[in-house]
Amino acid sequence: MILTALANGSQHGYGIIIDVQEISGGRVRLRAGTLYGALDRLRADELIGVDREEVVEGRLRRYYRLTPAGTRRLAAEAARLQAAAAAALTRLNLAGGMAT
Amino acid sequence: MTDQADLERGYRRLLAWYPPEFRRENGQEILAVLMAGARDGQRRPSLAESADLIRSGGWMRLRPSVPRSARTVQAAVGLMYAGAAVSAVGLIIGLALIIVYIQVAVSGQFLGRSLAAQKPFVITVCLVFGLVVVSLWLWMARANGQGRNWARILSTVLFVVATLQLRGAFTQPVSHAGFGVTVLYYGGVVPFVAAWVVGAAAVWLLWRPASTAFFKPPGFTQALHQAHMAELDRFRSSRARSQRQV
Repeated sequence: MILTALANGSQHGYGIIIDVQEISGGRVRLRAGTLYGALDRLRADELIGVDREEVVEGRLRRYYRLTPAGTRRLAAEAARLQAAAAAALTRLNLAGGMAT
Repeated sequence: MTDQADLERGYRRLLAWYPPEFRRENGQEILAVLMAGARDGQRRPSLAESADLIRSGGWMRLRPSVPRSARTVQAAVGLMYAGAAVSAVGLIIGLALIIVYIQVAVSGQFLGRSLAAQKPFVITVCLVFGLVVVSLWLWMARANGQGRNWARILSTVLFVVATLQLRGAFTQPVSHAGFGVTVLYYGGVVPFVAAWVVGAAAVWLLWRPASTAFFKPPGFTQALHQAHMAELDRFRSSRARSQRQV
């Protein structure tokens, strides 16, 4: 989810929370602790990096972006989910076809 | 305005759960996110927010800072925590056995009263030694998890020392002390053997190629590379010289 939020450009922490909320249709509301735990892990795994830092209202604001490895991981994850969803839909259609 | 200041103070207190270095790096940012996400007029962190910050901050202090790529190191660190647990169990069993042994020996009169007088001393020594061993396991797990190369070397040295000790335990003659004592003795040795096996597996994992990449800082790899290249150059020039001579 966080990787998806970063897919079309860099984002700062609060931007990611808002974005994830939108992507999930309001179902997922990340909390700050969870978010920064995940960001720390993703940075350690070199899936994301710091794009730039800005100072807004006296506070440091860091923008994160996907690394090439992160892009690859996201693409692979998306393909896997798509395959799973496609399989589910095919079977549902099959079952529906048999019923009628 | 004072509401905001109160709220910020509350959040700052919760951020104290994070490790200092993480707080230095991300504290300001997390605070900004928390403040941006706060409801209007909110004066205190909500229960859910507090729980979330305490949980993730506490977890960051506890977990080893191993990137997921170095699974072998992660496994070794896990084994070391298991080793600490095994040693702690061994310590308890060992103490129980010593107490029983001294009781039996004293009541059986075949070792006399002097042993009874030594009982507190023997137990203290065993307790201290056992606690040192457990702390060594925990210390090594932590330091290796942080990718310290000295920890990897020290773990290996400790493992060798433990191996020598264990060998000593088996070569000591105990058979003359009677069957009961022998059984007691080996009952006490079993946890040590188990801990040794755990240690062997952990050390093996620490020296796997996948782990080595994790322990070497990038600067070191670069220096190694340069040294290799220099050697290659020397080799080439010496070969060229010898060819000229032919």
